Amino acid sequence: MAKDKTFTVGHTVKRIDAVGKVTGEAVYPGDVSMEGQLWMKLRFSDRVHARVVAIDTTQAAALPGVVAVFTAKDVPNNEYGLTMLDQPVLCGPGSNSIIPGADVVRCYMDCVAVVVAETEAAAAEAVQLVDVTYEDLPAVFDAEAAMAEGAPRLHADHPNNVLCHYRIRKGDLAAGWTQADVVVEGEYYTGYQEHAYLQPEAGIGYIDDAGRVTVIVAGQWVHEDQEQIYHALGLPADQVRVIYPAIGGAFGGREDMSVQIVLALAAWKLRRPVKIQWSREESILYHHKRHPVRIRAKWGATRDGRVVAAEAIVIGDAGAYNYTTNKVMGNANLMATGPYEIPNIHVDTYGVYTNNIPCGAFRGFGGPQGAFAAEGQMNKLAEALGIDPVEIRMRNALQEGSLLSVGTPLPPGVSIPQVIEACARESFWKKGDIGWSRPQHPQPDNPALRRGVGFAAAFKNVGFSFGAPEQSWATVELYGQTEIEEVVVRHAGAEVGQGTHTVMIQMAAEAAGVPFAKVRLIGQDTAETLNSGSVSASRMTFMAGNAIKGAAEQALEKWRNEERPAVATYQYRPPATTPYDPETGKSEPNFAYGYVAEAVEVEVDIETGHIRLARVICADDVGQAVNPQLVQGQIEGAVVQAQGYAIMENLISQEGRILNPYLSTYLIPTILDVPDEVKSVILEYADPIGPWGARGMGEMPFLPLSPAIVAAVHDATGIWMDFIPLTPERVVAALREHGLGVI
Amino acid sequence: MKLWHHYHTPSSIDEALALLDHYGGQARVIAGGTDLLVDLRAEEGEPFPALVDITAIPELTIIETRNNQIIIGAGVTHNQIVRSPLLAANATCLVESCGVVGGPQVRNVGTLGGNVAHALPAGDGTTSLVALDAEAEIILNGERRWVPILEMYQGPGQSLINSTHDLLLRFRFAPSGKGEATAFKRIMRPQGVALPILGCAVWLRLDGATIVESRVCIAPAGPTPLRVGEVEAFLNGQPASERTIHQTAELGQKVLHPRTSKYRATADYRREMIGVLLRRTLTLAVQRAQTGAAVPEGVGM
Ligand SMILES: Cc1cc2nc3c(=O)[nH]c(=O)nc-3n(C[C@H](O)[C@H](O)[C@H](O)COP(=O)(O)OP(=O)(O)OC[C@H]3O[C@@H](n4cnc5c(N)ncnc54)[C@H](O)[C@@H]3O)c2cc1C
Repeated sequence: MAKDKTFTVGHTVKRIDAVGKVTGEAVYPGDVSMEGQLWMKLRFSDRVHARVVAIDTTQAAALPGVVAVFTAKDVPNNEYGLTMLDQPVLCGPGSNSIIPGADVVRCYMDCVAVVVAETEAAAAEAVQLVDVTYEDLPAVFDAEAAMAEGAPRLHADHPNNVLCHYRIRKGDLAAGWTQADVVVEGEYYTGYQEHAYLQPEAGIGYIDDAGRVTVIVAGQWVHEDQEQIYHALGLPADQVRVIYPAIGGAFGGREDMSVQIVLALAAWKLRRPVKIQWSREESILYHHKRHPVRIRAKWGATRDGRVVAAEAIVIGDAGAYNYTTNKVMGNANLMATGPYEIPNIHVDTYGVYTNNIPCGAFRGFGGPQGAFAAEGQMNKLAEALGIDPVEIRMRNALQEGSLLSVGTPLPPGVSIPQVIEACARESFWKKGDIGWSRPQHPQPDNPALRRGVGFAAAFKNVGFSFGAPEQSWATVELYGQTEIEEVVVRHAGAEVGQGTHTVMIQMAAEAAGVPFAKVRLIGQDTAETLNSGSVSASRMTFMAGNAIKGAAEQALEKWRNEERPAVATYQYRPPATTPYDPETGKSEPNFAYGYVAEAVEVEVDIETGHIRLARVICADDVGQAVNPQLVQGQIEGAVVQAQGYAIMENLISQEGRILNPYLSTYLIPTILDVPDEVKSVILEYADPIGPWGARGMGEMPFLPLSPAIVAAVHDATGIWMDFIPLTPERVVAALREHGLGVI
Repeated sequence: MKLWHHYHTPSSIDEALALLDHYGGQARVIAGGTDLLVDLRAEEGEPFPALVDITAIPELTIIETRNNQIIIGAGVTHNQIVRSPLLAANATCLVESCGVVGGPQVRNVGTLGGNVAHALPAGDGTTSLVALDAEAEIILNGERRWVPILEMYQGPGQSLINSTHDLLLRFRFAPSGKGEATAFKRIMRPQGVALPILGCAVWLRLDGATIVESRVCIAPAGPTPLRVGEVEAFLNGQPASERTIHQTAELGQKVLHPRTSKYRATADYRREMIGVLLRRTLTLAVQRAQTGAAVPEGVGM
């Protein structure tokens, strides 16, 4: 069979969606309009915690152009939530809901009414006319205060507002402390982060030709959106259809529902197309954020740099609903002790309900917070012992067969030592007779500017963890007579901008032995595809690849048996994982990992507190770079997003209200902020069960950046700043406290 | 989203005035639109009946020297200022301030006149015009006259002129003489997209090693741009030394009372930065006055 090698696995091929996106021809949810469409506006909560006593819609409904106003009692099953059904679709009295207190608003992003009108302006005006009577309830905005006795309770079934608590108990901690020659302690704080994807939430709901309630929207998992909708509407699954057109970024921010259920509700009730488009302000105010987390950590090591004891308490502010907090904090729990083999460990991790904005999935999924503390501790140990930060990591890094904190070995293919070494070699370090070391870094002439270098490493799970059901379906159809003329792949995985559709086609071409151009993908539509799982957890290349490979192998078998067309549908299931033991945390948390290390150079203006990120060297074991340019794009994108997290992005929340829901006041990096150099060091140590050896990699470059920056700032100034974002104000306050930069 | 109904591009001042008159307060002057269009969008109100674009009026788009005065039209863009060798030599601070406004796109269309007419207390162009002791030529209620730059500011966002009725035409100030120099610096959050946390422009005249005259503007330090009289009074007659500069920085921190703005900076940080900025800007201005060299710094960053 003729095979054009240059368009399959391992080669940089141009993205199939590149031209459409660059020319503006790509159709995003907000671009879809239909004849006779109506417009929707949502009335969000006016209170941070209150019982909705009454909702009077008379005035709103009477406004010319208004077609309908929906409230809680119009929702057949008034509850939703990705991993727990704990949030009412609409808060208000008299609804059918399993939630005790579906008439209570618990944060400003709760929704109380939906207005549908002939024009967007009429809907906007009417939504203000909905008259809501509230009875205020006491509120709590600090996670630790929320855990205290007597704090206001958000959910009847969660005493002390503790949504989840995970424990890890490994070895004998007391014995660990006695072995330790040095002990370092730190208290770490990480802030909120807004996803700030380019495309604010939008969509259109309608009844399709087959009579199905259909929603065109941007999300990360069509079948999950479908399930959330059919549950709330009380419909059979096949009566609901979800289609994704082009998606303008996601980063975890589209995993949970935004406009999906309300659009379906309105289209179902009114039998007419209904459209909604959020503004940037609405997008920032009404979708979840990255969890702010506080971590207290204490680690001990022997004089020769072996970590013998680690203890941590991790507290995450979940906000008013679970979203994916139970999963995110599970990950933070695992990653709070880093990619190191430590014999004695205690970790306690809590996710706590507060009346703040809910928090959920965001690139790294608890990993960045865990890594921030773990790497901070490792860097402090290195300082206390006078051992180079690369060298100390090499002495503790997980190896093939090492036991994780949860008492089980990692799956085969552990490469963190190689990744750390590659990063060190490609950056500022040299290996000598006595191990790794770094020459003194040159300083600028201007005495106000101090340069420093920092290092950090991390590991990131690939795929769903801790016993969550994990699978992905694919169908491969081979057309032609004597030769395969066309390959059609059906796979539901969402193209959120990362390039997954291009990669799926590359993998299908490789598996079927045809050129890239002969493969066509049918995707992200519940009516055309089977469940793929979400694009999250760095899982789609891994899961889709194995599913497509399996389907292609079976289709080829049928092709050889003269079936025309040869069609095979295949479900890939990775090795099973297991949940945390409630006492010891013992578990087999994941079936695959990616490994990463970063070295950074910063320049600190000690007078103004401005930190310039000058260089980043990022080494990633991706197993097999299916499309090297896309891998590089993910590394650079993750690094810049993490730079914003570490230095710039300061979401200000006051008593549950976000004060800066604008990109003019919530600053994300622009082209002028990006480092002079981001060097991607792509390593390919095959994962034994990855498709062509590939591991997932979309999240991991995010993880080590903020602790590496903190280490570099310490190298430059001698001060540990264990909080992010490192805004100039905070940096100046810390510097002045140590007498630095005083005029 | 429709922002206006009619867009006019007159080619003379008279024509512009006639158009404003014709719409009787329903039309508004537009230059680069980088402030105005943001405001129009944010208000989400009815579209403007008409906009009158002044950037095609030749008198408003020139940079020249006349009667030993530098003249800059209100419709001159930030980037035209940045590229002017005349201004680099004679108004270094202005080139430096216009060179950091927004990003390249904003500087390509945003104008100095728009910066002043918008009347924010910390417009970067404004800060330097104050240190240059510039005057603005306006047509106010039909009367054409020159006013000191500070008179243009009546309150935050409140200009002396009403841009549905009046026009801002030109700016003028004296070119740099012997022993004179200027400098501008600002503190931004990393890559801010709007106004600075703090800006500072300084004009100095040296006689030998002594500062004989100075003008200092720090913004925002009040509801309108202001000169720091106490600092100027202290500087005049002092030796151009590191010690003087240090004392000035301390004095600035004492006499100014910056405010907290919720999203941008606390008063504490601003007070700390007053010292840093004064020291940096004064040091640069003194250096320039001593050497006679004036190469704008930080432009286009
Ligand atoms: C992304 C971004 C970044 C920015 N960054 C900065 C910054 O760093 N520093 C800074 O100082 N500013 C900044 N600005 C604000 C703005 O760009 C400047 O103030 C600019 O100089 C405004 O000029 P313009 O020509 O665009 O004004 P316009 O928007 O056209 O007009 C502004 C106001 O002045 C009136 N007006 C304009 N010209 C005249 C005239 N000749 N006669 C009468 N009235 C007139 C208009 O009616 C309007 O009320 C930024 C803006 C944006 C969008």
